[in-house]
Amino acid sequence: MLPQPIPPPAPVIFEASGLVKEFDDGRVAALQRVDFKIASGEFVALVGPSGSGKTTLLNMLGLLDSPSSGSLKYRGDEMAGLPDPSHYRAQEIGFIFQSFHLLGTFTVTENVQIPMFGQGLSAKARAARAAELLDSVGLSHRLNHFPVKLSGGERQRAAIARSLANRPGVLLADEPTGNLDSKNAAQVMELLAQLQREHQTTLVLVTHDREVAAHASRILTMRDGRIISDSAAS
Amino acid sequence: MTFLTIIFRDLWRRPIRTALTMLGIAIGIAAVIALVGMASGYEKGIVKQLDVIGIDVIVSNMEGGLMPKAFDESLTDQIAALPDVAEITTVLMQMLSVEDAPMIMVSGREWGGFTWEKLTVVEGRMPHDGNERAVVLGTMAAEMLQKKVGDSIQIEIEEFSVVGIVDGHSLVENGAIILSLPLFQEASGYEGRVNFIDIRVPTDAGNERIEALCTKIENSFEGIRAVRASEVVGTSQGFKIAKAMSWSTSILAIIVGIFGVMNTMLMTVFERTHEIGILLALGWKKRMIIGLILAEAAVMGILGGIIGVLLGAATLAILGTLPEVRGLLEPDLSLDLILKAILIAVVVGIASGLYPAWRGSRLSPSVALQG
Repeated sequence: MLPQPIPPPAPVIFEASGLVKEFDDGRVAALQRVDFKIASGEFVALVGPSGSGKTTLLNMLGLLDSPSSGSLKYRGDEMAGLPDPSHYRAQEIGFIFQSFHLLGTFTVTENVQIPMFGQGLSAKARAARAAELLDSVGLSHRLNHFPVKLSGGERQRAAIARSLANRPGVLLADEPTGNLDSKNAAQVMELLAQLQREHQTTLVLVTHDREVAAHASRILTMRDGRIISDSAAS
Repeated sequence: MTFLTIIFRDLWRRPIRTALTMLGIAIGIAAVIALVGMASGYEKGIVKQLDVIGIDVIVSNMEGGLMPKAFDESLTDQIAALPDVAEITTVLMQMLSVEDAPMIMVSGREWGGFTWEKLTVVEGRMPHDGNERAVVLGTMAAEMLQKKVGDSIQIEIEEFSVVGIVDGHSLVENGAIILSLPLFQEASGYEGRVNFIDIRVPTDAGNERIEALCTKIENSFEGIRAVRASEVVGTSQGFKIAKAMSWSTSILAIIVGIFGVMNTMLMTVFERTHEIGILLALGWKKRMIIGLILAEAAVMGILGGIIGVLLGAATLAILGTLPEVRGLLEPDLSLDLILKAILIAVVVGIASGLYPAWRGSRLSPSVALQG
């Protein structure tokens, strides 16, 4: 039997070295010299107790915040030097939040269209893309409902559809099941894992729930602003 | 969904606040329409009057308020001797309170002068001569004063007979009491004085000769102003004061509107900090956030402007019926004024939104998301 060829290693998408984030004039150190690499298409869970720096790190990956010192690169380019952070957030990243962050004055389909503004799409194309995404998360019957009329699980599915609006290469999810019951949490995690597999998206997920983290292929455990372990999920 | 949908959905989120803010702008714009429309109506009335009478050059004193200060009528003979003066006549015009009319134009005219020519008798007759203690009333003046032919009328302390009702073919003429110059000079205490000398030039006199005549008059008599009739409105001190007052009052009202919109938009930005954070996290550029806030402010400006124009038009219509105004001017609501008012409203909206938009665009996404 001929030996199977070894697949080439996936390119590194994020690379951090000596990453530090301080608040309150240096009195609070949220991240302390953090180093890691994340490859394209990886599903990474960031786990750890509250205050361990998970969300701070996720915000930096999404360019919602900037490091106090150290280096954070995206596809080999220093993120601090990216010319247009909003372009990066719109085109490269999809955010999923614990509290969904759907806009209450807009319907579900309108919420999904929000990230598509400024991307050169016509209103018709935006509406069609939103309908397609909502169909893919099982919400085609809820297009014109306002978020307040949706269950928690439906809201998170709508938020997931929104995060995929501009076909991002990276999904950043901050406690996506934190506000859901176990049944809805399981459904949302299945959906996320399925989307990650289908689209070969890099998924970085923050959670303090070990069961949720078990969906990932790799787990980075954080404590007191440091990564204390980097392991493959069981 | 379009960008406009987002704007209107945001404005509709707090309908009462949006409506009150727009009302603030609307009141400012209504003030512009009403006050400037009144001033403009007054101007247009005078222009029409001069046009109907056929005056080419008006000589008056440089000083004075709404009416120029009276001067010695002996100047008339000296001006009449100048070249290019074909016809000349003198007028003493005052705004007076006469009987029940709080303010009415009284025009004392040199008997036989061309200013009597275009008056068409509607009822009664013209005075027999310049010494008859009689007046004719413009149609609107007769209506305002509720006088008919045969009635008497008291001007200052003198009493006159109403011998005719006339159509002067312009609002100002129709809103006036017209009588012989010496009678009015005596009644008003301005014996030997007039405040206008009206000149007609030969029909073949072109612009250059008229200008030359004006310059000659001004150079020959100190403190005297001679302007072409078509330019009298633009150069008159009284009109300038009226215009300045109407605009300055309007601007005050507009400033109040500006602060109203600014306050609303700032509150909107503070209230929507979290939402702005979401938009930034979803990839909205700062200039899109600025555009959204400015567009919302501009829409409030446009809608407030339209409401203001309607309110102003209604105010003008009401003002036009007041006894203090009727006969003196016809409120003027021109397309030019409407467009100017709406443009002001849009500029007010955008200007008021600048600071809130700048504040909104400077929010840090991560901090805003917590807000």
